[in-house]
Amino acid sequence: MTIIRGCELPEDLYYLIDKHVWAKPLESGLVRVGMTAPAVGMAGGKLAGVTVSRRKMDKLVPQGKSVATVESSKYVGPVPAPVTGTLVKKNEKLADDPNLAANDPYGEGWIAELDPTDWEGEKASLATGASGLAAYEAALEEAGFSCD
Amino acid sequence: MADDQVLIIMTSGPDTPRRCATPFFFATLAAAMEYQAKMFFTIDGTLLLKKGLAETVYPKEGGKPVSDFMQDALDAGVEFFACTASTELHDLEPEDLIDGVKMVGGAYMWQMAEESAQTLTF
Repeated sequence: MTIIRGCELPEDLYYLIDKHVWAKPLESGLVRVGMTAPAVGMAGGKLAGVTVSRRKMDKLVPQGKSVATVESSKYVGPVPAPVTGTLVKKNEKLADDPNLAANDPYGEGWIAELDPTDWEGEKASLATGASGLAAYEAALEEAGFSCD
Repeated sequence: MADDQVLIIMTSGPDTPRRCATPFFFATLAAAMEYQAKMFFTIDGTLLLKKGLAETVYPKEGGKPVSDFMQDALDAGVEFFACTASTELHDLEPEDLIDGVKMVGGAYMWQMAEESAQTLTF
């Protein structure tokens, strides 16, 4: 786990940096998605709700379009899909405990799973590994944001 | 009917400051959920559209002014509509209102309501 500007950011995930979401390909072929530590910070840290879109369940969601909404007392915004895919699953635990996404954003706090349309093709548009994290760091620096 | 349009009718204003944050928050939330969110202001809600007024209304002491909640909604793409009759109620001219507000009649409100998947009133 790498710490960048106070934010935990795993090296092996795939990031859509400007939307602050991560993607993780699963053995099942599905892609799991969630929000990053910077996203949690920007939402205020304590979440009132993380709601996966019921309307979009089983529907195709293009990369960058919302699969869920995040709410806190100071912020409300979308959780965009890092890659194009059919929304097939939501993390049921978030209904009772939205702060799982804040406290364990890469583990128990995952948000949804997509059946990707073109993972191999689209993953090239995501940032990963050491170079990906360097790009994320640059973006956070430009935004003047840190998690601490 | 557009199944992705929602309408919030805002009748609350500066006399009831506690009622003035949540409707905008719901509108911003709807926009985040990718609904086309519209707010129709009438009765006292129209006062919040007066230039400089919403900055002085605090739903919670020590918290954000209503103007912040309104700006969040506008930034998220929520459209604001003011009822022309209610501007007369408050002796407001179109130029007294903040930018980005469309002035419409009551019939337009009914049309928006017909088109909307949900209509809420605050």
